[in-house]
Amino acid sequence: MTTEPKTNPPLGRIIVITSGKGGVGKTTSSAAISAALAKKGFRTVVIDFDVGLRNLDMTMGCERRVVFDFINVIQGDAKLKQALIKDKRVDTLSILPTSQTRDKDALTKEGVEKVLTELKADFDYIICDSPAGIEHGAQMAMYFADEAVVVTNPEVSSVRDSDRVLGLLSSQTRRAETEGAEPIKAQVLITRYDQERVEKGEMMTVEDVLEILAVPLLGVVPESKAILKASNVGTPVTLDGPSAAAEAYQDAVSRLTGETVEMRIPGERRPGLLQRLFGRAS
Amino acid sequence: MSKGYARNRQDSVTAASAAFQVRGRFLTALVLRIDTDSAGDAFYAQLDEQLRTTPQFFSGAPMVLDLAHAPGLCDADPLAALLAHLRNRDLRVFGVQNADRLDGAVLERLGLIAVTTGRDAPLPRPTAAAPAAEVPPPLRNKVVHAPVRSGQRVMAEHGDLTVIGSVASGAELVAAGNIHVYGTLRGRAMAGCHGDESAHIFCQNLSAELVAIAGLYQTSETLDAAALNRCTHIYLKDEKLCMEVIA
Repeated sequence: MTTEPKTNPPLGRIIVITSGKGGVGKTTSSAAISAALAKKGFRTVVIDFDVGLRNLDMTMGCERRVVFDFINVIQGDAKLKQALIKDKRVDTLSILPTSQTRDKDALTKEGVEKVLTELKADFDYIICDSPAGIEHGAQMAMYFADEAVVVTNPEVSSVRDSDRVLGLLSSQTRRAETEGAEPIKAQVLITRYDQERVEKGEMMTVEDVLEILAVPLLGVVPESKAILKASNVGTPVTLDGPSAAAEAYQDAVSRLTGETVEMRIPGERRPGLLQRLFGRAS
Repeated sequence: MSKGYARNRQDSVTAASAAFQVRGRFLTALVLRIDTDSAGDAFYAQLDEQLRTTPQFFSGAPMVLDLAHAPGLCDADPLAALLAHLRNRDLRVFGVQNADRLDGAVLERLGLIAVTTGRDAPLPRPTAAAPAAEVPPPLRNKVVHAPVRSGQRVMAEHGDLTVIGSVASGAELVAAGNIHVYGTLRGRAMAGCHGDESAHIFCQNLSAELVAIAGLYQTSETLDAAALNRCTHIYLKDEKLCMEVIA
């Protein structure tokens, strides 16, 4: 797929994808969002901050092409250009994988800043895929961010952890520590949403989640088989065949780039009479 | 501080034979300001009365005489007489202040020193035999105009705490006075944290994990079901937390 790269100068926006809780879809969302941004023509790089648990490169399908990694660059063992992997599907997309053998202490504030500054000169969007938790790795991923996408499942513990992360974003980041700086623009992305279960009262509604988190909604991604499939074949869901999840991510990315897109809550269409009579075939 | 300490230690090792050591010493002395020009019977009667009511206040405390208001005593003889009377009452007078007219030889003879350094503490009150009551710090209220997130703790150490926004589960509000939440209270709220039983908690929507006033608490399991998810006023009455739905 070839895209028309946007003209200079690069935007250099740093967006952290974070959540606090694990398994809510940070890496999947990082892959989907960065691929969708790149498809729109933005020069995009996605960085894996989950040192020691290398997942992003597998989700992106480039695990066999990793030679140097983020930590090598931070420690000066490799040049940034050597570590960046250009995606074979979208030429505006690059991946900066992380090390499988080191731990998160290898991430130093100075090192991360140096790499990010270098990337800002070449890319429109720098997507930081945060590890789970609120420890050093997650803090390094969020520290230099301009924007944050907080990934949340409509489920109480995930929402509470996201709330904790929102607190950290507004206190433990460079923008929070710099006097007079605009605070990080944080938005919530609800994933694994299942309208049927919400109706049965087994899952929190979008309104409930937003009421607790009190930040703008970036999008609602439905629970979808397409995501697991895409992840297993190493393709970001937004580059895979059409699916409700891919649409939801594309809408979210459009909002991220400042477009106004009507919010669609997946599965809101009431089933027709025939479907109701014969049950849900899918 | 620690640096100096380390150096002293070293010195004591290298110069083990030092015969003395010079160190600073701060001490608190009582100042007896004499407001009458001649120390007569009335003066000693008042002094004895004071000593009788608060004996422990004076016992063993070093004392300085302040003669600023008693120029008549700034002479060798009346001062010697006064000193004898005071020492008779077991008062440990060791110095004088504001007595510039007295010369060094007189003081030396009387065993006194001229105190020129230090500064006066506020005048002790006769009732101050027990440690003086703490002056309450000035009231300082706090207003937070943002949601309080899980894991955050907001303190209003000396006053009321007002939150304009919701308080997430896992967040904590602590105030010496009242707590107001213009939003949903899902976390913990502790009013009257220094023991003020007249503190109140107000919230627009009560679904707290814990509410407490002056240490008396209730958790979400024991909260009044009638007040749950309602606009509620929580107060203490007869050592019991009461919840009143106000809207």
